This record gives sequence, C-alpha cells and structure tokens, in this order.
Amino acid sequence: MVEIRFHGRGGQGAVVASNILAAACFIEGKYVQAFPAFGVERRGAPVEAYIRIDDRKIHLRTNVYTPDHVVVLDPTLIEVVDVTRGLKPGATLLLNTDKLPNAYPRFTSFRVATVDASRIALRHRLGSRTHPIVNTAILGAFARVTGLVSVDAVCEAIQEEVPSHHEANIAAAREAYETVVLPEAPAEAAP
Amino acid sequence: MRRVLEGSHAVSHAVELARVKVISAYPITPQTHIVERLAELVADGVLDARFIRVESEHSAMAAVIGAASAGARSFTASSSHGLALMHEMLHWAAGARLPVVMAEVNRAMGPGWNIWADQTDSLSQRDTGWIQLYCEDVQEVLDTILIAYKLAERVSLPAMVVLDAFFLSHTYEPVEVPEQDEVDAFLPAWEPTEILDPADPHAFNQLASPEYYMEFRYKIQQAMEDALRAHDEIDAEFGRRFGRSYGAVHRIPCREGERAPLALVTTGSVTGTARVAQAALRQKGIGVDVVKLKLFRPFPHEEIRRVLGPYDRVIVLDRNISFGSGGIFASEIRAALALRGEQPAVYPFVAGLGGRDITPQTIESVVARALGDEPPSDILWEGLKL
Amino acid sequence: MSPVTFRSVRDLPPMSRSTDTMLWNRTGSWRFLRPRYQDKVAPCAEGCPAAEDIARIQILLGQGDFEAAWLRIREENPLPGVCGRVCYHPCETACNRGEYDDPVTVNSLERFLADHAWKLGLSPPPPEPAAGGGRVAVVGAGPAGLTAAYFLLRLGHEVDLFDAREEPGGLLRYGIPEYRLPLDALAWEVGLILNEGVRFHGNRRLGSDLTWDELSGYDAVFLAVGTWKPAPLGAEGEEHAQDGLTLLEAIRQGETPEVSGKVAVIGGGNTAMDVARSLLRLGAEPAVYYRRRLQDMPALPEEIQEAREEGIPFQTLLAPKRIEPLPQGGFRLVLTTMEILDEDEGGRPRAVPSGHPDVEVEVDAVVTAIGAGPSQGAPAEVTGEGLVAEGLHLKRIAPEGEWAARPPVLVGGDLVNDRKAVVTAIASGKEAALVIDTRLRGRDATSIWPSIRVGRKGGVSMNRYLSGDRAAQQDHVVRYDELNTIYFRFQERRERPRITLEERRTGFDEVKMRISASLALKESERCFHCGQCDQCDNCYLFCPDVSVLRDLRAGTREINYDYCKGCGVCVVECPRNAMILEEEPR
Repeated sequence: MVEIRFHGRGGQGAVVASNILAAACFIEGKYVQAFPAFGVERRGAPVEAYIRIDDRKIHLRTNVYTPDHVVVLDPTLIEVVDVTRGLKPGATLLLNTDKLPNAYPRFTSFRVATVDASRIALRHRLGSRTHPIVNTAILGAFARVTGLVSVDAVCEAIQEEVPSHHEANIAAAREAYETVVLPEAPAEAAP
Repeated sequence: MRRVLEGSHAVSHAVELARVKVISAYPITPQTHIVERLAELVADGVLDARFIRVESEHSAMAAVIGAASAGARSFTASSSHGLALMHEMLHWAAGARLPVVMAEVNRAMGPGWNIWADQTDSLSQRDTGWIQLYCEDVQEVLDTILIAYKLAERVSLPAMVVLDAFFLSHTYEPVEVPEQDEVDAFLPAWEPTEILDPADPHAFNQLASPEYYMEFRYKIQQAMEDALRAHDEIDAEFGRRFGRSYGAVHRIPCREGERAPLALVTTGSVTGTARVAQAALRQKGIGVDVVKLKLFRPFPHEEIRRVLGPYDRVIVLDRNISFGSGGIFASEIRAALALRGEQPAVYPFVAGLGGRDITPQTIESVVARALGDEPPSDILWEGLKL
Repeated sequence: MSPVTFRSVRDLPPMSRSTDTMLWNRTGSWRFLRPRYQDKVAPCAEGCPAAEDIARIQILLGQGDFEAAWLRIREENPLPGVCGRVCYHPCETACNRGEYDDPVTVNSLERFLADHAWKLGLSPPPPEPAAGGGRVAVVGAGPAGLTAAYFLLRLGHEVDLFDAREEPGGLLRYGIPEYRLPLDALAWEVGLILNEGVRFHGNRRLGSDLTWDELSGYDAVFLAVGTWKPAPLGAEGEEHAQDGLTLLEAIRQGETPEVSGKVAVIGGGNTAMDVARSLLRLGAEPAVYYRRRLQDMPALPEEIQEAREEGIPFQTLLAPKRIEPLPQGGFRLVLTTMEILDEDEGGRPRAVPSGHPDVEVEVDAVVTAIGAGPSQGAPAEVTGEGLVAEGLHLKRIAPEGEWAARPPVLVGGDLVNDRKAVVTAIASGKEAALVIDTRLRGRDATSIWPSIRVGRKGGVSMNRYLSGDRAAQQDHVVRYDELNTIYFRFQERRERPRITLEERRTGFDEVKMRISASLALKESERCFHCGQCDQCDNCYLFCPDVSVLRDLRAGTREINYDYCKGCGVCVVECPRNAMILEEEPR
C-alpha cells in the first residue's frame, strides 16, 4: 500500500487533486481511498489531503502518518509547514516551485523533484496570478516522478472529475509531465 | 457501474436510486454534502422529488413525517446537534409508524465543539423507536440505504443509516453503484396501508388513553422484533441480487474455520481498521476474531449470544460513552449475554471519542490489555492522556 | 357513532388512528365565526382617476397573461400606452408598498403591457352590438373625447368625433413632445379606438366649422375641447413673449421653430418642462424661471429631475415684470424677486414680492408656459356659472336660455378638471359616456353612481357598471396595516432605463426605454395584490381542517363549511386581506 500526502492552501484544490489521483489509479485497476484532513477548511489556510493506493481492498481507516510521497502545491508552505513530517527516508517530495531540487539541501534524505506548476497553470489560464489552480499540473508531474500512475490515466481522470476547462487542465498536466525536474540522484524507489 | 465516490455522495445516489419523493434536511457538518448533492439532483431534474427547505432539523423531521404520512417515500439526513434537535420528532415518526429513512453521520456532541467521528449522537436516540444500522465502508453505506428502505417499509418503522464522520462521509473510494432497474426490482414503490387522505379522513395519532397506549407500545416492540428477522431476509435477498450482504452480526474469524480465544466487537468504520490489526496480530501469533455489529436497533440479542457466547473473552470497542455507565454497545452486549448463566468476560473499552484516531496500534493495545492482567472493570479507557 | 372497544392488541390499528372515517364529524357546527373570500379595493385602484383595477392587472401580468392584463386595463382606460408614458401615476403615490419599501412601478408596467400588445399587433375583441343606443357628438378628440367615444361606442351608441385639428389626439398629438410620447405609439392606440367604428371628423372647429345647430341634431353632446388659449402673463411687454403650447404644436407638426440662443421659459408646470426640454433638443439654451420654489412646481417631479439632468438651469422665486426689446436684438427680461409667505386658500404657498432688487437677464427669446384658458370656440358658459356638476370629472351646461332647447351638453377634460392631466381627462370621458348612456337608456345615474365608484374617493368603474351584481362590490380600501407583510420580502423598485444624456440632449428619441418581459415580471412580483386573491394558497396551507377547497382549473377557492371550525387562521395568514371573518349568522 502506498500512502501520499498533499499539502496546499484552502481553495487551491489539494482535496480535488487527491480525488483526481484516486480516480486515475482506479482507472488503472487499483484500490484507492482519498480523504481530506478532517477539519474545518478555510480559504488560504494550510490544508492536507491524503490518498492510499493498493492492489487489494483497503480496510485501514486512519489518518496517514508515514506517507510514501508528499506533494506540495504551494511553495510558500515549505517554510511554514513541516512538509516532511513522517515521510519515509528515500521517499519522494514533489514541490511546486520555480527552483531546482538542489535549492533544498535540507531535504537531501528524500528524492526531491520540482515543477513550476504555478507558471504552467497560468500559461493555461487556470486560476489567476494570485490564485493559480495548480492541482492538475502537479498531478502530471507526480505521474512522471513516481511512475505510480500513467499520465494518460491522470488526463482521463481530469476529464471525469474536473467540472470545466478540461483541455487546459489536461494540457497543463502534460506540460508538467514533460517539464518536471527529476531528482538528481535517484534514491531507491519508494514502495 | 463501479465508480470512485465520496461517502456522502454514495448516500445521495442511493436516495436517487430509491426513487425518494420528498427530501427535507438542514445542513450540518459533516452531513452537508449529502443534501447538497440531493438538492442539485432535484434542481437539475435528475431526481423527481420535492426538496423542502426548512429552518431547523426539527422542521425537517416534521416535514418528512408529513410527507410519509401522505404516502411519499421520504428522506432526511442529519448529524450530532442536528439529530438532537430532531429528538421529539424522532419519537413521532416511530410512533406514527412511518418508514422514513435518515442518513446519520456520527459526529461528537459539544461542548467542546467537535465535528469529528463519535457515536454518542446516534446512540442517544436509542430509545426513539428507530431502526439503527451502522456501516463499515462507503459501499456498505450505499447498500444499507436501499436495505433500510425495504426494511423500514416492511415493518413500518423509521430507519437510521449511520456512518462515521469523515472516515466515511468525506472519503472517496471505489463503489459499485447498482443499476436502476435492479434497484427497482429489489425496492419497488412503497405501498403504504395507512395514508393520510383528505377524501377519507381519519383521526391520526390521536389521544391514546391508558387503556390502549401500552398496546401501541407493544406493537412497536413487536415490529422491532419482526425487523430482526426481516433484516436478515432482506440482507440475504440483497446478497442474492447484488452479491453483497452484511448480516446483523458478522463474525470475521482470525483463521477460517477456527475460533480464536478472543473476540473483538466493533461497529462502524473501525471494523476496517480492526481487520488490518487482526492480520498484523496473526503475524505475531495472536488470534483475534473480529465481530462486526451492524444492527443495533432492533438489538440482535439472540445472535449476539450465539456468536459471542462461546468466547472466553470479548472486547467491545465503543466510540461513545453513556456518562455514569460506560460504552453503550458494551453495556447492551453484556446485558444480552447475561441471560444465560455462563458468559465470557467482557472488556468494555472506550476509545476514539471526538474523532481521535483508532489505529491498528490502538487495537493491538486493547487486545494486549484484554489478554494480559487487566482487572475486570465496568469501563476501560484506551489512549487516554492521564 | 358507537364507541369502538378493542379487546386485544390484534384489533388495534398500527398506530393511534380512528378505524372509521371521520367524515361524520361535521366540525363546521362548532363554528361561530365564518371566514369568507372577499376581494377588496386596492389603494392604487382608488387612487387611479380612471379606476383601473391595478391589483387584478398585476395578478394577470404576474401569471404571464399579458394580453388579458392589457384588456383588463382597457376595460377602464382605452389609452394605456399613453398613460404608461405620461400619467402622473397617483396609483404609485397611493401604493401600499410605499410604506414597505418603494411603490410598485405601476406606470412602467402599464406601458409594458401596451407596448407588448402593440409589438404583437394585438387588437381587442370587437364591441358587442347593443340595441337602443343614441347618436352622440363628441367635440374634441383629445384623451377625454377619445375615451368618451370609445366607451359610448362600446355601450351601443353611434359616435361622431369632431376636432379642430386635422388629426385626432388633441394635446397628446399636438402638445406633448415626441421624446415623451412617440407619434407611432399614439397613432396605434388612437387607431384601435377609431377602428371600432367611431366616425372622426378633422378640421372642424367649434364655432366656425361646426355649429350648435348641427350639434343639436344629436341626442347628446360631450364637449372636451381643452384649454389651448394662452393665459396672459401680466407683465409689461408680454406681446414680445411666445406661447409655449403654440411652440410645442409647431414642433409636433414637424416644423423647426426659429428659436435659438438663450431662451427664458416662464412657468413651472409640465408644459414649461416640455418647452424647455424641446428647446434644448433644438439646440437652444433654455432656462426655466418660476415664481415659487422648486418644490412648489406643479410639474411631475420626474419631469423636473430629467430636465435638470439634461442641464437646464432653474431660477426660482422670480416673477416676470417686464420684457424690453434690445436695440441689438433680443430682450431684457426684468424679474421681480419673490418670497413665500404662507399658503393660499388652495393650500399652495403664496408668493409675494420680497422687496429685494429686481433681477435682469438678457435673452434671445421669452416663452411662456403658465397655463391656458378654454380653447377658441368653446362657449362662454364653460368658464362661468353656467355649469352644473355631473360627476367627479364632469360638468354639464345648465339647460337654461338657448341651452334649454339643445340636447344635453356635458363638459369634461381640461375645461373642467382642477388637475389638468391625461388621466383626469380619461376619467371625464368615461363619466360622460356613463352619464349619456344612463340618460339615453332612461336610467337613474345618481342611484348607480355610488355602486360603480371604486373605493370612497376613487373614479368610476366601467367594469362595475357593466357587471350586474353591483351591490356586491366592495368599497373597502385595503390599508397597509391590514396586510400581513410577513409574506413579502424587500425587493428593490426597478425604474425603467433611460437613453443616455447625450442622446437626450441632442434628439427627440423617447427618453424612457421599453422594459423587457422578465423585468416586468420581476417588478410585478413586488405588487402585494392588496385585497385580491391571487391564489397564493396560504389559506389552503394553513387550514387545519383541510377545509379550503381548490378548483385549480377555475382558479377558485371555496370554504367547506361542513368542516371549517371558524378558527380564522386563513384570514389572519392571508397576506393581502382578500378574506374576511364574519360572525356566523344564527
């Protein structure tokens, strides 16, 4: 079973990202379970969402404590929230940032990948300059970095789960898939 | 069709499949997504039903009571304080023998203000005359709504389908959504026998003098006892039609064909986590049978005695508390077991109140305590920061 | 009924429920108060001199039946397209909604209904022939004459309609500017009246082209030739001033008057506004001079506001004293400064010279618009003691002297009305038709009059006159405090849109734009329908005895008195006071 944690801010679409990823994995025949951090969501406040992926039915119904991958949708969160909390050594940390992975020396025990999802989202007119909607772009990058799911399944899930602007969202996911900066020294593959 | 659905929306789709005619509800976290989706379905014309907006849960229950009295299949949903506000009307729905179905999202009662999973809200309505069904996962939630309608209409009593806040209400997972024609075959239109009809007026729910009141109560009790048998029949029929059935009391043995020395009774979504803990304990050589209790009202006394009677020790995990007594499921189970002289030692653990996570480690801990030197007690706390 | 005894739990119904029908239990016998549906008069209808049943019209409008709503107006007023544009809408002043938030825009909705009919080319059903009518001459084809002709024809009389001018319409055609009342809108509505069989004779001025000898051949005469004769200004050199109405008529005839530069417009009524705004549109620089204050002007507030929006300056408390021609051309206008003392007998503020120095202005022209006297050709009796009252907006020339031998001559419109307005002229026309009809058919008008009057001080209703059971008509006017306003919600009044200021300053396009059906429906929703059942069904919902019987097809409600206990909740919860609770007759 693989556990993934998304960090975002209320209104950015972290919960939707976890739902799209769940749908994408489901399309590829996996069992999934996606849920938000159970709490009171407020716009702009840090939020978390989780997803479990397995080949068998998932019975476990607890919070996610030791994720295998972490995805950070908002670059400003990196300084605010302990995004590596419980993260297994060698796990993947995918950051939305315009910086390169080597700009984060404190995360060297993880496989750091970066993608400028905000720029990609804006180029595809997703959201506004102050509130780019990066969740679809980041999932394209996630597919490339983890290999857990194909970018085609992500695009199909976008078609199903996102209410509008399908083409732009799919284009953003594909662009992020192509432009994500992969970890320099690939650590051992996460489970 | 198999889809990834949020637990709340699984309820909404089940209500749609049940061809409910009247919906009335008042929003409250974590139930809101259920009625939001239903309101959309009605507004979009997908669901041919009336959505009655009201100013409180009390009114919502009153509205569905009116609708059901006129013979319309009716639905409402609530949670926690909303459910508590319905309390008076809950008695009314049962006393009037109306097969209303409600989705009840288990949420803690305040104060302190808490929106997370806790069963005390629904268990506080134990004596209102409502059937109560507790669900383990999103699939079971969807299926149980359909089962609940059939059961409620069979015995003329209202039914509450209970699901844990967030762990089920806000979780997306794959769900098999049955086809409409299959559901129609399983759950035909309700044919009420007592309809409020202005053309043939009767006095409904009028004064019942001491001469008759007790007999009406006896009838409700009889209906509840009928519901035990009816539930098993309907559950079995559901299994034949859809390939899934749940049982009022379902034993999940550690090893197939064997009985472990210890049974762990769970309700709601904790059962899933218990299955995971069971596997981990088995690896460690510790055998625990999980017993999932789904039907709480009517209480399956006989089934409980049959399933739990043979064990040496029984753990009951309660995510609820009756202050001054203890875990509510434990107390009912002990009472049921007490009918026969010899009975297992019951370990009544209270855990996970107000949404505190019940993890496989929590379960391993209560198992260790029950198998160790824990002295017998009327209440045992797990995970308490003392 | 014998009491039922249950011996065993098996005999009991599932819940506490009577085994038998309860139909036997005629709870109506318990009643000592009896609710009843009773339509009452809405204050708007009482406020309307034409007695339009506005609440009922709004109900029909709200149901989307625009044609029926339009026809309902035409039962009382044949000129809704005109009134929807130029009426001073006393209905809105009376509107109960004004005490809640703002009055309903009745005037705008009236125009919407007329425009809708116009746009779709609707025409009313032809009048039903009625035997025993007479021949009636209507002199003056303004709103009063047109209305009289319309109703007289519908009441079964032959009508000859005479006018001094070439075309019918009177002041509507020749006095009101295009930007307030477009000619095509007027022509459509006048056409509907004439097409029903009214014979129109243009270019027949009373006294020269039309004689009393000729008129004496009719069974009755209605005289409504208006007040076109300019009133004297009472200032030295007033011969240098031009008459405003004459100017407006010239413009309406398609002429471009030679008025340019700075123009002083004297007066504070609607004609003064019309003159000033027309001059502005022709490229002149008009300024309005008025002897009292802005708030004392008789012009409609919205006309004053629109004139000011268009940039026309207003000089108040100035009365013309002298007009002197200047050697280089133009005039010096000398004005006395005035002050307001107190109210005169009519309740108007009295303006007297303040004693402050005179004000002098140099202008290129002076135009007066200070009211007018009876038109040329009107008999002298219409100004003096020679009139006797016949109705609220109607007089008759006393049958004395030479008049004793002539058919009855009724006088209406601006000749007799204190408030000289289109809608009061329409009221005159309708009253004239009623009086003539009663006379020619030998009925007693005085006994009918009270039963057809809407409310206690309203106009008379043709609908009531024509419907048999007039005794059942209510004169109870619903007051605001008689409504149950909990069922209403605050909703902004939607004024009709106007064309841009630039367009207004440079052309004669209609200022107020047409409103859409959706806007009309939205605004109509605001109407309380005071005193009129609009089938909101509050009575039905609240009745604890299921004793409100609905006939959804007929749109009617009835009380089932077999079971109604007379609790009165229906009456209390009726939002619009369309029910009453009476003592049960014993």
